[in-house]
Amino acid sequence: MNTLSTNLMIKKIVLTGLAQLVLISSILAQADTDFLRSTGKIYTVVAVLALIFIGIVFFLIYLERKVSKIEKEIGNE
Amino acid sequence: MVKHWWKILAVLILLYTIFAGILVPLKPGILEVYPITGETGQSINLKVTGYNSHYLDAQQKPRVWLKYDSVFAISASEVNLINNTRLDARFNLPNNVPGGKEVTELSLIIHNDIDGPSLLPSAIFLKQTENASANSWQSDIISNLPLKEGIQFPYRSNLQESIRNLYYHVPMWFAMMIILLIAAIYSFLYLRKKEDKYDHLASSYSAVGLVLGILGLVTGMIWAKYTWGRAWSWDVKQNVSAISLLIYFAYFILRSSIDDDASKKRLASVYNIYAFIALVPLLFVIPRLSDSLHPGNGGNPAMGGEDLDNTMRLVFYPAVIGWILFSAWIANLFSRIKSIREKLDIKKYEISS
Repeated sequence: MNTLSTNLMIKKIVLTGLAQLVLISSILAQADTDFLRSTGKIYTVVAVLALIFIGIVFFLIYLERKVSKIEKEIGNE
Repeated sequence: MVKHWWKILAVLILLYTIFAGILVPLKPGILEVYPITGETGQSINLKVTGYNSHYLDAQQKPRVWLKYDSVFAISASEVNLINNTRLDARFNLPNNVPGGKEVTELSLIIHNDIDGPSLLPSAIFLKQTENASANSWQSDIISNLPLKEGIQFPYRSNLQESIRNLYYHVPMWFAMMIILLIAAIYSFLYLRKKEDKYDHLASSYSAVGLVLGILGLVTGMIWAKYTWGRAWSWDVKQNVSAISLLIYFAYFILRSSIDDDASKKRLASVYNIYAFIALVPLLFVIPRLSDSLHPGNGGNPAMGGEDLDNTMRLVFYPAVIGWILFSAWIANLFSRIKSIREKLDIKKYEISS
């Protein structure tokens, strides 16, 4: 039961993470300032690289939580 | 250390693609001109802003043309250089629009010995008016345009520096396809051998493939906003990739909705193989059957000509390989965690019963 609720919690965290990812990108994409258009649109490349990095970090957090749960269970035995 | 060689390779390749993809300069181009309209018979002074250009440093004074098509063009009557990225070009516009049209678009071409040729398509609009002037079109005057040598990425007036996104956005999709293919193969192996590790590998690779797909979609939306004008323009490729992501979301919903372990793994494997087979026509056939904003669709061969020149290939293909290896590393890590998780659960079950 405990595992199930933790599992659900992790899923919730990952899903909200993904939702945030989409949200950040839509804010970046909808900003009416011309910042991302300046200096030859180079900041769109920066935004894309940053987003890929954020995506990898979210996946790492997801893995991290799975591992620490296993560690906790092994420690309890 | 020896068995980890491919992970080291992945990191080195990705570092190379990040540095080469960002640092290699763009070819010189034309950023903008002002004014953007002209009337027939008029004499106009175009203020041209260049990008990465060397108008002053060049030995040869830049030659400037306004081009209608491969035959009709006019050359500037006077060129004033202001600095390396600014010049003024005076044109005596001809007294008629070819083909009897009311308005036509003219492209601007500039050539000098350092920068090579640069082009701004649809630089100005030429309007037909009743004007008695003797100016006329010259034919076949644009000649001798030697290309610039060296490692530089192409300058496209709508993309500019964002052409570099090709090395970060497109490999997401390439890596996703390969990672999902591996997932489908592991699902097939699970159905054949019924070993749990194949199911762990299949679901881990699918998860990583889904993450790559989401990143591909979101990075594409940012790029689209600043080149196509809108983040989501219901382009056919955007639509089908969103559908294919939904198919893979359904895979994880299916997995979490079945309690019985053996039937969950069997059903998920069958679905995973089906999902990959559905992906191929979605991503490779449908976009080619209709018009798309993406290059290489609407019947055109992909990845050709100006969209991916040889300099870009030097970064693009390593990026694809690097992302495949890097994602495979993450997927393997995930599947090992799943295997440990399951062993732990079995052990707990044995202790409790």
